[in-house]
Parts: sequence; C-alpha cells; structure tokens
Amino acid sequence: MRPEDVAISMRSLKMLYGSKLVLKGIDLEVYRSQIIGYIGPNGAGKSTTIKAILGLITGYIGEIRVFGRNIADGDVGYKRQIGYVPETAEIYDALTPREYLTFVAGLYGISEGQADRKAKALMDLFDLRDAYHARISSFSKGMRQKVMLISSLLHNPDILILDEPLSGLDANSVMVVKDILSELVAQGKTIFYSSHIMEVVEKISNRIVLLRDGQIVADGSMEDLKGQSNESSLEAIFNDITGFHEHKGIAEQFVSIIQEV
Amino acid sequence: MKEFAFLKMLDRFRKVFESFGCDYPVMRKIIQVKLTMDGRRVPTIMNRARARKQSDSSDSNAFLRSLWTYLIMGLILVPIVLINQNAMFSMSIATGILMFLVMTSMISDFSAVLLDIRDRFIIVTKPIDKRTINFARTLHIIYYLMLLTGALAGPSLIAALYAHGLLFFLVYVLEVVLLDLLILVITALLYLLILRFFDGERLKDVINYFQIILSFAVVIGYQLVGRSFSLINMHIEFHEASWQWFVPPFWFGAAFQWLESGKATAQTMGMALVALVIPLGLFFLYIRLMPSFEKQLQKLSAESSRTTSKRYGWMTLLMKLFTSRNQERHFFKFAFLMMARERDFKLKVYPSLGFSAIIPFIVILSPVWSQGIQVLSHGKWYLWIYMSGLVIPTVILMLRNSTQYGGSWVYLATPIKEYSAIYKGTIKAALMRLYLPVFLLQSIVFFILFGWQIIPDLIVVFLSMWLYAVITFRISRKALPFSEPYNLTQQADRWTILPLLFLILVFALVHFLFTFIPYGVDVYALVLLGVNWLVWKYSFRMNANSFRFNQ
Repeated sequence: MRPEDVAISMRSLKMLYGSKLVLKGIDLEVYRSQIIGYIGPNGAGKSTTIKAILGLITGYIGEIRVFGRNIADGDVGYKRQIGYVPETAEIYDALTPREYLTFVAGLYGISEGQADRKAKALMDLFDLRDAYHARISSFSKGMRQKVMLISSLLHNPDILILDEPLSGLDANSVMVVKDILSELVAQGKTIFYSSHIMEVVEKISNRIVLLRDGQIVADGSMEDLKGQSNESSLEAIFNDITGFHEHKGIAEQFVSIIQEV
Repeated sequence: MKEFAFLKMLDRFRKVFESFGCDYPVMRKIIQVKLTMDGRRVPTIMNRARARKQSDSSDSNAFLRSLWTYLIMGLILVPIVLINQNAMFSMSIATGILMFLVMTSMISDFSAVLLDIRDRFIIVTKPIDKRTINFARTLHIIYYLMLLTGALAGPSLIAALYAHGLLFFLVYVLEVVLLDLLILVITALLYLLILRFFDGERLKDVINYFQIILSFAVVIGYQLVGRSFSLINMHIEFHEASWQWFVPPFWFGAAFQWLESGKATAQTMGMALVALVIPLGLFFLYIRLMPSFEKQLQKLSAESSRTTSKRYGWMTLLMKLFTSRNQERHFFKFAFLMMARERDFKLKVYPSLGFSAIIPFIVILSPVWSQGIQVLSHGKWYLWIYMSGLVIPTVILMLRNSTQYGGSWVYLATPIKEYSAIYKGTIKAALMRLYLPVFLLQSIVFFILFGWQIIPDLIVVFLSMWLYAVITFRISRKALPFSEPYNLTQQADRWTILPLLFLILVFALVHFLFTFIPYGVDVYALVLLGVNWLVWKYSFRMNANSFRFNQ
C-alpha cells in the first residue's frame, strides 16, 4: 500500500473518561476502497473511536491522521472529506428536508442551488419526492434515516462513517443502500461501518475489526477471522472472540423465570 | 428559508466578524437555520394551544408574537420608575424585577438554544472552526436577549425618558445592556455548575422548575400590574448597608442615585462602578470559558447510568390509607409517579397549583390590611379556603394528557377488567399528590389565624373537595389517564370548567349555611362522609363504552 492510500490511521489511541480507560491503545490503518466492519459489544469503545475521528471529543492520547494529516493540528478542513451518520438519528426535525439538506451542504461549502438540485434528485430516488417540503418531525424512522444518509453524502466525501445506517429502513431500501455502498467503494471511497447486525457486516465488509474493552482483538477479512476461530458465521465468531459462551444458559434461565408465574 | 432583518443588520458588521477570524457566510447560515427553527417552537409564556394553531399555518416566530406579553409585563416597571422619592430605591427594585423576568424567561425558553446537543452531531462534525460556531451561538442568544429586554424594559424606558430626562434614559439603556451581559454569564455558569456535578436529566429538571416559576410569576404579575401604580406617591427612606454590596440590583440602582442627587457616598459610587466592571469582566471570562462549556455539554448526550431507586414512603402510606383494592393501588402508584416525573405535566399544573395555594390569603389580606388583624375574629373568613379547590378541575382534566400519550396502548393490550379502578386510583393520586399539600399548608396557616374551632370546618372542606373531584370527573369528557396529547380539546374543556367554578361557590355557600345551625358543621361532615362513600363506590362503574380511546 502506498502512503497516500491510507485514509485513516490511528496510532496508540487512548481515551480516558474520568478514571476509566475506554480506549486502551488502538492501532489501525484504514485504506482506500475498504469497507471496514467496526464491531464490538456495547461499551467496547466503538462510538468513542468514531467521535474522536470526527473531532467530537478532544483530550485523547495518541494520534489520528486523516489522509496523512494530523486532525489535532487545528485545521478542521479534514472534515470536508468525511460524511457521517450518527447512531442516534440526530437531526433538526423542525426543518424540512430541503432546508436541512441545503443547510448541511452549506456547512460543507456547497452552494444552495447545487445542494438543492442534488438533494431533490436523491430524495426522488429514495421515493421521498412528496416529503421534500414536509417537516422532518412528521417522518417515520426510515424516512429520517434516508434524509440522514443523503445529508452525509451530498458533499461527495472520500470517507463515510456510518453508525447503524440501516436502522428503520425497509428491506427494499436496505438493498438499495447496500448497493450504493458497494458502488461507492468501487469508486475508491472508504467506509467505516459500525453495527450490531452481524449478518450485514459479514456480507458487506471486506475487512472486519473487532473491538473489546477498548482494544482491537481481531482484524482481518472474513476468511482470516474464520481461520482464527472454529466458527463459520460472524455472529458465532463474535461470540467466540468476545468470550461469550453463556448465551444458551442465560436463555434457558430467562425462559424458566418467565414460566414461574 | 426566510431572510431575517437581524441577519441583514449583521451583514453590515461583516468586516468586524471577519476580523475576528470568523467564517461569516457559514455563521450567517447557522443563525438563519436556528432562527427558522425557533419560528417553529413555542415559548413558555404563551398559551401553547393557541401558538400551535398559528404556527402550523405560518412560519413567523411564536416568540416574536409573544413579545406583547412581555410588553404588558414590562408595564409593572413604569410606576416603579416614576417613583419620585428615591432613585436608589426605585431603580434597584426596577432592575431587580427586570433581572428576575429576563433570567427566568431566558432559562425557560432559550435553554433549548444553549443546550441543543444536536449541534454536536450536525454542526461540529462539519469543517467549521470552533470560533465560528461560538460566534453563531452567542449572536443567536444575544438576538433574543435584545428583543426580550427591549420588550420588558421598553415601557419603563419611555417613562424614564419622559419623567427624568435624556441622561437618566441613557444611563438606563446602558444598565440594561450590562444587566443582559450579567444574566447571560450567570445563566451559562449556572448550567456549567449543574453539569459539573449532576447529569443532563437533573439540568432538565432545573430548567423545568424555572419554567414553572416563570409561569407562576406571570400569573401573579398580572395581578400586580394594576396595584403597583399606587406606589407612585409612596414615601420611602433608604438606608445604606454593607449587605447591599452582595445584591446586584443595588449596583444598578446606585448609578441612578448618583445621577439624581449629583453627589454620592463612597458606597454608592463603588456600587455604581461594580455595576459596570463585573458584567464586563464576567463576559470576557465567559468567552474564555466557552470551550469548557462545550466539554461539559458532552455530558448531555452521554447516557446517564444514574439509577433512581427512590422510595416514596409517604406515597405508600397515602396509598394504604386511601385506597383499598389491588388494581386501584396499582393505578394510584402509576399516576403518582407519572405526575412526579413528567415535566410537561408539572409545567401545566404547578403554576395553577401555586396560585390556588395563595389566593385565599390574597383575599383575606385586603380586609386585614385596611382594618387590622382583629377583623378575622368575626365573620367566616376561613371559608375562602374553598377558592383553592379551583385547581381541582384543572388537574383532573389535565390527567388525560401526556407527552408520551402513545404509551397508553398498554391499557388496551392488557386484560384490565375494572376500568373504574383506573380512574379511582388516578384521581385519588392526583388529590393526594397535588391538592393535599396545598390544603395542608392552608389549614396550618388558617389554624394559626382562627384557632382550633375551625378544625371541623377544615374536615368539611376536605370532604367536599373529594366530592367535588368526583363531580368534575362525572361532568367532564372521559378519557384514559395520560392517553392524549396536550391541547387536544382545550376549547371544549373551558365550557366544562365554567359551571364547575360556580359549583365551588355552592359548596362554600352550603357550608356557610350549616355554620348557623348548632352542631351543623359536625352533622354536615358526617353527611359528606356518607355521600363520599356512596359516590366513590358507585359512580365510577362503567364499561368500555363509557369513553373513547384516542389512539
């Protein structure tokens, strides 16, 4: 790999919340045209990593570089190359998609006219033509998610950071979004995909990074991971590597408590 | 999106902002979006039902339309400014009231602006530097602060110009600006302090209490606007004391004292200086502290893992005393907790509750004021305690509403046989949680004022209120508790409440008549006890067709 192909690099990234070390030294290089499936149990440090890359938290130890530039150098321009869909679909829902999308595009420096044209066309493709001028507050979860996805892509970013991007979407929309992601990767984009839905991660990622207790415990393609563990599905590998074997026992106990009545 | 006059005004200062290193077009865009969103939000001071109706059709800012309310509130300052006697006294009071009103409105209505955590995800993730974001946020707040204080101080500013001349007016304007800076900083520091030690939920509670205080102050304020004009000719002596150094309104009053009398003591001069130095100093500190504020805001978005296993000992006690059946207790507990937790419910109910708590005292205060305390020894002044019952219809009608009304599917999805238990439990919980504290407070004061012989009367009042609550419930349209959004049917409810208000007078009248019969009150109490027993037993019987669901 040439150095200019490194989209994101993290070197011994540590983060301290109060007295708790939530990231215990992450070393990771993400290359162009990769879809990284970034997985791990709740509290493993996935969101913290993502927030650090986006500059939402400061005070981490270590170094993060985006296309070779240290993001702590005081220039926020690197964010122009990133598109982001947060897990909790945070959105100004008093606005209409038109207003919201042209606003966000404006923050990336795109002119209103161009943003409007693009946003409208993309909304059309997502079957939301009629909703373009309605308040987002009246939208269903899936419709909001589509607006979020469009807002993360309007400025044609080189890196996409997605946190549960498919939540609330119906099966047909999921197909469309998956294909969009593959197409983007084929164009040389990088996707950082964080999710709890293992089937999806397994299918779309060409590299999987598993995080546990603030550390990377597995990193490689699906084939590599299968080699590391005796399991065949990502879900089983996940359970295996995170050392979680009690699911059967817990389930049995759970059901027996229900039956107590 | 709309063009705003404020933005056009800012355009003229574009060079200034850019010289501070701020990305002007982006800042402008952020403010524009924020103002557009504010246009779709409803301020506390305004009746939300009306505001919603209007804002659905138009995009004009509900806050701007509520400015006239602030103007009327501002009238209260006019007579105070006009007091001729002592500038120190009058202007300290005027600025004190102004500070209170601006501060409470600021916290009630602009907390959403200061604490919008969505900003973190939507704006901070974009390539915009911190300075531009901070400029946008500060200007956004300043814009509202300007309008708000303009409306509140406007009438008294005009009065000051007319009565005291141009110089006085200009000093007043300057003081108002300084006052705004002070409030801006104090509010931010207050948030910072709360977030430093508590989590976001606690902060939301604090904001909720400020909203309640503001709504209450508006209700009381309207009562006082008219009466305050009698202050104009009051004669006041003012004495200096060192504790005044610690009360900010006196700082602001001091400058006027200096101005009016031409000469001033060292303390007056000192305090006038403090009024200038402290707000400016704090403002610069605030600008320095902005980044640290941002850091604390992270806490708002972090899920708080604080578990509240608060036990409501007295709730259990009341529940055991006043409810019998299992199902009923169940709903009693549920309603009790809902009323304790839901912020919108508190915001709607607590101001009327506070008002009902003090109204009997206001009524008996004026005869005491004019004729002395001995006037209470003859006459049946304590019967004014019935006035506090006015809050019961408000509470009972409000029990149908909740912000999370969608959650009421649980009533339908679960096999509840006795719907009467739902209503009995809920209404009892409302009486216990909301009315009982008010009643106890008034009983204690009345007991002190009128002596032990009114105890049977108080018992009669309490029993009447239970009956009154049932009648309210029977008359009003029935809906399951916490199952409808707020303001669904306020118009219709107004016509339900009106006859109920007369009914409270009937209760008081009957009670009044019984006091003329020997042992009449005791007999009446027994009668009420019996009627209550019957009514609570039989009048809740209903089947699923007695009400409609609003899903």
